[in-house]
Amino acid sequence: MIKDILRRIFALAKKEFITTWKDPKSRGIIVALPLLQLLVFANAITMEVKNIDVVAIDRNNSVESRELISRFKKSPRFRNIYLTSSDKDFRSKIDNQKVQIGLYINNDFSKSLRGGKQSNVLVVSDGRQTNSASIASGYASQIIQEYVLEFNKGGGASINPVIRNWYNPNLEYRWYLLSILIPMLALVVTLLLTALSIAREREMGTFDQLVVSPLSSFEILLGKTIPPLFIAMFLTCFMVFCIIFFFRVPFMGSFVLYLISIFISLLSIVGVGLFISSICNTQQQAIIGIMIFQMPAMLLSGFVSPIEDMPFCWQILTYINPARFFMALSRGIFLKGMGAGDVITNLIPMIIIAAITLTLASRTFKRKLG
Amino acid sequence: MYTVEIKNLIKKFGTVTAINNLSLNIESGKITGLIGADGAGKTTLIRLIIGLLPKDSGSMCTLGLNPDTQKNELNAKIGYMPQKFGLYEDLTVIENLRLYADLKNVPQEFDKLLEITSLAPFKERLAGALSGGMKQKLGLCCTLLDSPEFLILDEPSVGVDPISRHDLMQMVKNLITGKTTVLWSTAYLDEAHSFDTTVVMDKGKIIYEGKPHDLAPDSAEFENKVIDLMGGYKKEESMIAKNYTPGNFDIEYAVEACSLEKKYGSFYAVKNNSFKIKKGEIFGLLGPNGAGKSTSFKMMCGLARPTSGTAKIMGTDITKNPEKARSNLGYMAQKFSLYGNLTVRQNLEFFASVYGIGLFDRKKRMEEIIDVFNFKDIQNQKSEELPLGFKQRLSMACALIHNPPVLFLDEPTSGVDVIVRRDFWNHITSLAKKGVTILVTTHFMDEAEYCDRISLFYHGETIALGTPFELKKNAGAKTMEEAFVTLIKESENEKQ
Amino acid sequence: MKNNRIVFALIKKEFLQILRDPSSIIIAFLLPLISIVIYMYGINLDSVKVVMGIKNDDANPEVQTLVKSFGHSKYVNSIVYDNMTEMTDAIVRSKIKGAVVIPNDFSTKLSRGQSADMLVITDGSEVNTANYVQSYATQIANNWLQTSRYKYLVKGAAVTPEIRTWYNQGSNSHYFILPGSIAISMTLIGMLLTALVIAREWERGTMEALLSTQVKKIDIVLGKYIPYFVLGMVSMAFNVFLCVGIFRIPFRGSFLVLFAVSGLFLFTCLGIGLIISSKLKNQFLASQVTLGVGLLPSMLLSGLMFPINSMPVIFQWLTYILPPKYFITFIESEFMAGTIFEIVIINSIFLTVLGLLLFAVVYNSTDMRLEK
Repeated sequence: MIKDILRRIFALAKKEFITTWKDPKSRGIIVALPLLQLLVFANAITMEVKNIDVVAIDRNNSVESRELISRFKKSPRFRNIYLTSSDKDFRSKIDNQKVQIGLYINNDFSKSLRGGKQSNVLVVSDGRQTNSASIASGYASQIIQEYVLEFNKGGGASINPVIRNWYNPNLEYRWYLLSILIPMLALVVTLLLTALSIAREREMGTFDQLVVSPLSSFEILLGKTIPPLFIAMFLTCFMVFCIIFFFRVPFMGSFVLYLISIFISLLSIVGVGLFISSICNTQQQAIIGIMIFQMPAMLLSGFVSPIEDMPFCWQILTYINPARFFMALSRGIFLKGMGAGDVITNLIPMIIIAAITLTLASRTFKRKLG
Repeated sequence: MYTVEIKNLIKKFGTVTAINNLSLNIESGKITGLIGADGAGKTTLIRLIIGLLPKDSGSMCTLGLNPDTQKNELNAKIGYMPQKFGLYEDLTVIENLRLYADLKNVPQEFDKLLEITSLAPFKERLAGALSGGMKQKLGLCCTLLDSPEFLILDEPSVGVDPISRHDLMQMVKNLITGKTTVLWSTAYLDEAHSFDTTVVMDKGKIIYEGKPHDLAPDSAEFENKVIDLMGGYKKEESMIAKNYTPGNFDIEYAVEACSLEKKYGSFYAVKNNSFKIKKGEIFGLLGPNGAGKSTSFKMMCGLARPTSGTAKIMGTDITKNPEKARSNLGYMAQKFSLYGNLTVRQNLEFFASVYGIGLFDRKKRMEEIIDVFNFKDIQNQKSEELPLGFKQRLSMACALIHNPPVLFLDEPTSGVDVIVRRDFWNHITSLAKKGVTILVTTHFMDEAEYCDRISLFYHGETIALGTPFELKKNAGAKTMEEAFVTLIKESENEKQ
Repeated sequence: MKNNRIVFALIKKEFLQILRDPSSIIIAFLLPLISIVIYMYGINLDSVKVVMGIKNDDANPEVQTLVKSFGHSKYVNSIVYDNMTEMTDAIVRSKIKGAVVIPNDFSTKLSRGQSADMLVITDGSEVNTANYVQSYATQIANNWLQTSRYKYLVKGAAVTPEIRTWYNQGSNSHYFILPGSIAISMTLIGMLLTALVIAREWERGTMEALLSTQVKKIDIVLGKYIPYFVLGMVSMAFNVFLCVGIFRIPFRGSFLVLFAVSGLFLFTCLGIGLIISSKLKNQFLASQVTLGVGLLPSMLLSGLMFPINSMPVIFQWLTYILPPKYFITFIESEFMAGTIFEIVIINSIFLTVLGLLLFAVVYNSTDMRLEK
């Protein structure tokens, strides 16, 4: 009896493997695409702002103001400094996005520096790219502050923040990004693998053939779960491998815990995918279904903005988002060496998600028969 | 005058030669029937003639134009109806007609066409919601809109009931002018017999070209002659049946339909359908397209849930214990529904294991099946690439792989060549003799003669039930086809 | 004339299909709506509020006011710890995103007019938040110093940087993320919908029937471009209405220019979608590729979320072939700064060139036979 069930599930799983894996086009897309994305995104994306171009007006034209400007030139974050004397030029350089930062030094700069009246150095940033603008203007004001502080060296009371960045001493954005890319790419691939599988069979008419066979809903469900889970697991592990060995991100946690976390995370994503698939009649609907789930799932995963910072009702919404927990686990185990207890706390919601979606999916197989 | 002139045409797909040094002339103003075994290259030839495929070598001339280089000029003069006609299923009947009228640049006058095809009442219905027969009629309408000089029909009557088939034929004859050349590929030999010329293809070559009446005076004889041309069919002992190991079932009625009913809103798709099929009986379910046969079929095997009533297979209630009921069932769907990207062998293996055949038995069983169905040469080919006839054979093989005591075959012989059909029925009847119970639907009325009993289905209801002989006697008809038409018409009249 | 009729017929057919198929409506209207609502209410990119731990080892009551000012900051929720292990544990569990430790000689050093160390610990696994923790802690401490008992011991610092964010005075990130989300939605409509449609015609066999009529290549190509172009523009109008009309995002540019350039952008996106579709002829693969090479790069590499200037040079070059890069630059500028001639022209030229190139490729890769 058990043997029969296993045999049937095995047959179904094998068939799924052949259909997704034997076709070179689909194999290429499933494996090559995420790896390519990993490579491109990991290298290209950073939150650090580099190569900042600056337009500067120096109304003071003193030793001090020139020294301040040369500080900008020396900083690795800034690239070209365009000195100008015309306000119009200043404005148009920023308008046309030739520069990201404008620096305006007043003619009383050196005087106030020597203890005269309070004065300002104006830092203009291009708000059209609000994110990088605020980061860039932060760098600029840091340079100014440091210069001013240095000028007045020798003291007075001051607070010197001694900064220790745990888990990522140099705050390398790539480390963070890579731990986020794993769940993100795994989510995309796994959803596509699963969400189309039943819809496609419905469209082709082969699903009828399965239903007429002695396969029970549960067996169909398992047969549909195992292959994508296996493929996604393999792919995710390969990505992790690449991240550790090629991108040299230190892995701080326990491999076993991480593997278990990946497995359960993927299982919950498979569950969501199969549920989408089970309610769709055509592949096109399934693709739309993926989009409707995937886009909010990514935006509300904590990647774009921290979960704790969302309005309360949106925070609740993230509890049904496996991507949220997957990302927390990935970051936690990879970079922070999260312990078993905390891992389990994050796994429980995903186990619940998986259980609910998989049950609903197998229920829906039958109901859809009309 | 020839519409098509072909000399030494060769077309290869990879290593497979589809058209092998073929030469053919098609006479203008005549209807030419194109027949041949599955995979003989009929569809490929048609596609080459109208320039949908480029040739490898040889010369070809259609309506005085070169299909390779003058495809666009050629397209303006022809009407082509592919096997799977490209109706937009999410457009209504009238919208499809309008689209094709625009594409062919003809006035949008459809009243006459709609009248002839009796599609007028369904003008606003989505094409996807039409029955198979009506879809084909609509497809033909779209093809005929601009009264093409040359009409090419690739198996238009596959899966179409005898009445609609008759209508299609009438439509073509009414709507063409004396100058129109028609190339009509068909699996129905009675159709082919009524044409002006017959071309028989085999393995990418023409093996006969001439008047059908020269071959045989009547269609039954014509069929035998064509079979002879294609290599002949020798009725042999069915290996499938021979290898069939009947289970020990002591049951009188293997299949029972107990007042099955299916309602969509207030519309009865199937109404109070009851019958019992004895063990070892071949039970035929006949009826026009859209009569509710497929719905009944689907309810019987648990693919659709009956609104009321139930069905029993080997005594097991399909609604209560579907898994158990289905384990006794071999099912062959109307539409090809195997895994297209799996090979023939992989498909067989898959169904063998799904139906619980153990590893050791499976190997043996598969070799047997591959042998019996003659799959040796194609076993590693992807099943979606097979010609229609082979697909049907494969479906049948998959349905039989687990030696089921009950077989449900929904139009198993649609689009299959005549030899394979004979072979099919040889297996079916032999299996029945071994005690397999068979429920079958078909649109080939000659096949209906093989059935032990027939239920004639119309508008969701059984209008006649009995042996073929009884039905013919009731209708006062000589052939099953006549009986079919008469009984349907009678029921129609009664309603009015 | 004859040709026009065919194109019109194909366009009309496509429109009927769009109207009957809820999925096009969902992609064109529901998805943009969802994403705008999420950007508007769900996520917050401005002033991230962080939870920080504080451990004070200095018994001086004046330092207590520093601890309090952490509690009063509107950007920080502070939790006071007495035990270092407890605090460490909280960081591991992501309960707090950073911590400040005030050493016991803090007040002594300040009162002597010296520089006093303050330990700031951040959780580097979340780089963005770590940066916020650093700057909040420094800021709060410095502000405290200016008002504390030690303020007379602070020297100099008469020159301070004053930051002004042009075009977006309040640095309201909604002003910039919503136009960006319009661009993403447009990419999705342009690529995904069209990627599916040609593939669908091949899968359903309608292509074979079309190819045997007098339909020319240009008819098929235009018959796909035009309807989805119109759908895309309607969706664009819907998006702009949501942003400007409902959510009151300031729009300083010209609607005429906005729609003109959006049209160019849509034209390029349709090209990409149609190429994918006609090359793959399979909905499953087409959707995979669209999401993989279309959507993710347009979100991540277009400069919307991450600065292009900071990428390695090769990848900066790569972004030149991404139409969203040009469109995002344009739309942000058009919304926030108004019509700036140079920005409009440069980006339009790039989009036009890309669009025409893609059109040529689409035209060439549309098969008029069943096999090459």
